[in-house]
Amino acid sequence: MNSLDPRVNRLPSTRYPVPNEPTAPLDQFGTFEVFVVQPKEEKPFQHEGIVHAPNLEMAYVLAKEAFTRRFVCVSLYVVDTTNVAVSPMTEGDVSIYQQIEDRPGQAGEKLSYEIYHLTKRGKQHVHAGTVQAVNGPDAMVKAKHQFNSGKGICSVWVIRTKDIRFTLPDEKDLWNTLPEKKFRDASAYKGGDKLSMFLQSKQNTSDHSGHSDNADQ
Amino acid sequence: MYGGGNTFEGVKTDSVAQEDPVKLGEFEGRIARGEKIEPSDWMPLLYRKQLIRMIEQHAHSEIIGALPEGTWITRAPGFKRKMALMAKVQDEVGHAQLLYSAAETLGKPREQMIDDLITGKSKYSNVFNYPTFTWGDCCFISWLVDAGAIVNQLANAKGSYGPYCRALERICAEESFHLKYGHHCVIYLATGSSKQREMFQDAINRWWPPMMHFFGPADMISTHTPVLMKWKVKMGTNDDMRNQFLDMYVPKVWELGFTLPDPNLAKNSQTGRWNYTEPDWEEFKRVINGDGPCNKERLEVRRIAEERGRWVRKALKSPQAAYVTPLA
Repeated sequence: MNSLDPRVNRLPSTRYPVPNEPTAPLDQFGTFEVFVVQPKEEKPFQHEGIVHAPNLEMAYVLAKEAFTRRFVCVSLYVVDTTNVAVSPMTEGDVSIYQQIEDRPGQAGEKLSYEIYHLTKRGKQHVHAGTVQAVNGPDAMVKAKHQFNSGKGICSVWVIRTKDIRFTLPDEKDLWNTLPEKKFRDASAYKGGDKLSMFLQSKQNTSDHSGHSDNADQ
Repeated sequence: MYGGGNTFEGVKTDSVAQEDPVKLGEFEGRIARGEKIEPSDWMPLLYRKQLIRMIEQHAHSEIIGALPEGTWITRAPGFKRKMALMAKVQDEVGHAQLLYSAAETLGKPREQMIDDLITGKSKYSNVFNYPTFTWGDCCFISWLVDAGAIVNQLANAKGSYGPYCRALERICAEESFHLKYGHHCVIYLATGSSKQREMFQDAINRWWPPMMHFFGPADMISTHTPVLMKWKVKMGTNDDMRNQFLDMYVPKVWELGFTLPDPNLAKNSQTGRWNYTEPDWEEFKRVINGDGPCNKERLEVRRIAEERGRWVRKALKSPQAAYVTPLA
């Protein structure tokens, strides 16, 4: 390898030219959904995206790096995507709750489930509240009675609370140093004064030379 | 950072005429009403394929785009510039993560995309196949290549696919830091010593042709172009994007007293469009097909990273955490 970068020159050589198809099967990590509270304490958790990780703990760490690098972050949690129950997506102004049928009361131990609403296509699912239910479908029915404000809700997600990897109280200091990292923010790069001085001096020079030109004439 | 060129040609097998007309009508109706398409919605095969191709190329461009700047972190002038450049490079890799996730929602696994990058099957933005000889080159990328990317990304953020738009909104917010940082670096070079000014002028002279290539050749009007515009996959022509970039940034370069190496570069006051010398499109094709100054190095660095990380992934991989398609 002949590179301008000495570190690249030190890299070991690998097979080249490249094979057309990789021989190994895809080695893929699991998928985890990430929810974040930014920027104020009273804001609800909002779905932000995903990370791939080998387990829930690693997913939490990677989510912190991927989604909370700047501004203020209050809290974050992750859940394995396979533990999210998802309703269909509705058309137009139809609320998904109109399509969720009531079910006869179900027997069994009640657990806590978190409910998330999508109010408009293109936006993110936002936490609406918590219900006690025996399973995911039952939780959707409970949510229909507790959180159906009549407004159009395109889709509902349900997650069993105990499947979530929450931020523990003593982990909140993960984000303590964020406000110090001004170098990550556009506002730290004010070149306006330097630029104006430069333009002014350029102007002065050209005025000056313009004046002498006239004088010469 | 991403240039639009050469993205939309190549998928010729699908025929929109073979799609279910009722479903197609509903799909087009939704886009016409300005609603976003979400992953669980029905969508035509052509829409899915072109979006995967476009978002995947965008993601690869972020990963590869981190390399020419990343190599300057150790040599950036001073602690502040090093910290800023590190943050910027980290952002670029973060952007790739967001974009891979958006492409995955359309059904292509992330590892497949990474394999396609390192085997050369998928492309990335041509501009990153050029070397950064000096700090001036690095500043050119931070300011002007990022500026070009922002022109493309702001347009694409108004597209129809929900997950891509959400990723782009997040990316554009971070790009504002990149742009201000890049401009700040260039202002310091412009107002510095004559050597510093000369260094940046040389960088402009080297980077102007790849910058003009960045937006891609004038669009070939294929049978798919009108339908991709209607579906809000393609948000403007390559020439429109290039013109918008010239409009916003040529005056800023001139303001700093630098010149651009094109004697024909001027705005036509009647049409409002910029006149310029067509860049060498043969060179563009040659570089896209692998024969640029840094193509081999860029892919080799990625491939070595992939191979060196393999044992770590193997050690960490657990059957309990299964790969599934992301939800949104």
